[in-house]
Amino acid sequence: MGTLIYTSIFFLTLRSTARRGPGRRGRLGATGGTMPSGRQRPGAAAAPAEETGRSQWVVIAPGSVTDLPKKPDSGPLFTQLRNPSTGQAALYLFSSDAHQLFELKAFHEEYRSWFIGQAVQHDGRLFFATPVDPLFLVLFYLNKAEKEQGKFQPLDQILVDEEFSSCVMLLQCRSISQSIHHIADEKEICGKKFYKYSEEKTLKWLKKKVNQTVKVLKEHDVCVGGRVHSATFISGKEVPDATEEDYIRFAHGLLSEYFPEELSTALAKYLCLPPVTPPSSEPASKKRKLSDAPVEAEEDYTKFNSSDLKNKKGSSKMSAAQKALAKVDKSGMKAISSFFSSKTKATK
Amino acid sequence: MDLSAFEGDNSANCLLDSAVPAICRTEPCTLGIDEAGRGPVLGPMVYGICYCPVARQGDMAELKVADSKTLTEAQREQLFEKLDAAKDFVGWALHILSPNFISTSMQQRAKYNLNALSHDTAIGLIQHALDSGVQVAEVFVDTVGPAEKYQEKLKQRFPELEVTVKPKADSLFPIVSAASICAKVARDRIVKSWKFLEDLEGVETDYGSGYPNDPKTKEWLTQCLDPVFGYPQFVRFSWSTAQIILESKAVPVRWDDTDDDPSQKNVPSLLSYFARKQTPVKRPPHRFFYERKLETVTGL
Repeated sequence: MGTLIYTSIFFLTLRSTARRGPGRRGRLGATGGTMPSGRQRPGAAAAPAEETGRSQWVVIAPGSVTDLPKKPDSGPLFTQLRNPSTGQAALYLFSSDAHQLFELKAFHEEYRSWFIGQAVQHDGRLFFATPVDPLFLVLFYLNKAEKEQGKFQPLDQILVDEEFSSCVMLLQCRSISQSIHHIADEKEICGKKFYKYSEEKTLKWLKKKVNQTVKVLKEHDVCVGGRVHSATFISGKEVPDATEEDYIRFAHGLLSEYFPEELSTALAKYLCLPPVTPPSSEPASKKRKLSDAPVEAEEDYTKFNSSDLKNKKGSSKMSAAQKALAKVDKSGMKAISSFFSSKTKATK
Repeated sequence: MDLSAFEGDNSANCLLDSAVPAICRTEPCTLGIDEAGRGPVLGPMVYGICYCPVARQGDMAELKVADSKTLTEAQREQLFEKLDAAKDFVGWALHILSPNFISTSMQQRAKYNLNALSHDTAIGLIQHALDSGVQVAEVFVDTVGPAEKYQEKLKQRFPELEVTVKPKADSLFPIVSAASICAKVARDRIVKSWKFLEDLEGVETDYGSGYPNDPKTKEWLTQCLDPVFGYPQFVRFSWSTAQIILESKAVPVRWDDTDDDPSQKNVPSLLSYFARKQTPVKRPPHRFFYERKLETVTGL
């Protein structure tokens, strides 16, 4: 969640056949490389225009991703894992030593293409590999195991997924063993550790995450207010309507992208966030209620032109100040209207 | 005529002018405006003005300047030399609109059509003459679009001048003929010695007259086409001749404001938005990602 300075922009070249295949795993191509201090190397990884069947992707990733691997056959690894929020496939990136996990997000807007070296890339997306807490992914499996078995299990039995076999690699992530106690109860039997999901611990941990996120949102002046407006819209004045609750709600929504929906609901309760009433599906009826009273215009100015207005005025109450003014001796004073009359009768 | 200023960077417009004759600063002058290269798909459009004291229009007629279209290239060159030699009472100025400028003007988001472009260039040249100290009294212009409207526009802009806009003014008034010769000579020279900024990779540079109906020009346009970039800047992209070839032979490019956007074909009718939704969308992405157009990547 913190700020990270990205020192590496690399162009990823893959044969498009890799796209048609299972596409679950793929080592970073030889063309990937760290740019010296973020400066662009001219013509880096440029595929000749005539070489068809090649696609390139522009990825922004922390420099550490492309640190030289210790073993010759290991390198940064793109792999599909289960998105802990939706349960669907999503792309992730393991660093060379598999100690760190990155999620991939794509900036995708219509009408965009890339010029890369001497080639054109039709897909104008810009990919970001940003560090993600692998505990979110482990949480998904722990949660699932709790529902299915509800007993203490070793992690390597919990992290089993036929469809996404790479999920075993999560065990190699450095932070897992250190932080798993945030979301699970632990038992040690015969030197082997067994885990069981704990919702209580998880909610406590997620609340901390929310608070961390709120802090970052504030630091970066992210617009969290109820009003919806474009993120690119820069308001000249401070947005006054962002309350603490707005921040918490925003952070809660943002984090909910990383865990299942039911947990999101539970967390909202835990944070004491009042549920938002969804806007009613249809606009309020514009029909007026009929009443038995005779129809009368709401504003009828002719009324005040009638003669009884004067009587009304006389009887109308005056404020204390007005009464005091009325008592003032006005002898020798001109009426204010006289100043506006024509000056033809000017005295000599 | 020193065209090096334009040839140094032929992607930008360029204003060239002669020295203002001393007599033009003191005596009331007549000024003619004409353009060259309005129709061709290749090369710049050149606007020219020519001016001389009203009293010496007779001397101008003696130079036997005539409508540039009735003259051969050699005759035009000769006449321009004569005009340039008469620098004691004749002055001229040219505004060269690069093809690149014409393309971008006509194809920008807020369309700037060729007539408006022509009118504004003419106005700019009159203003340039006034700013240089020429005592302009009357202006003669060959029309672009409806003559009355154009005349009205110019009169409104320069109420103190007597403005005459007439079709075929270049054959009626010697001062307009002179302006047309200046413009035409400049355009011919530029087109002949065009320095391509692009690497044409051996495509011949025999592009004919540059007019859309010239078969040589059409052939050249097909030859020099790059599937990604289209044409060199020498070509006016906004001409339908160029656009038709681009559409059929080049890679399709979609812009934000393309009217016949194929993606729009699948856009549901506006009415459907008012219908009650059958199934609510399952957890849309959070505002943070949605507003920043960030998507989850499922695979490469």
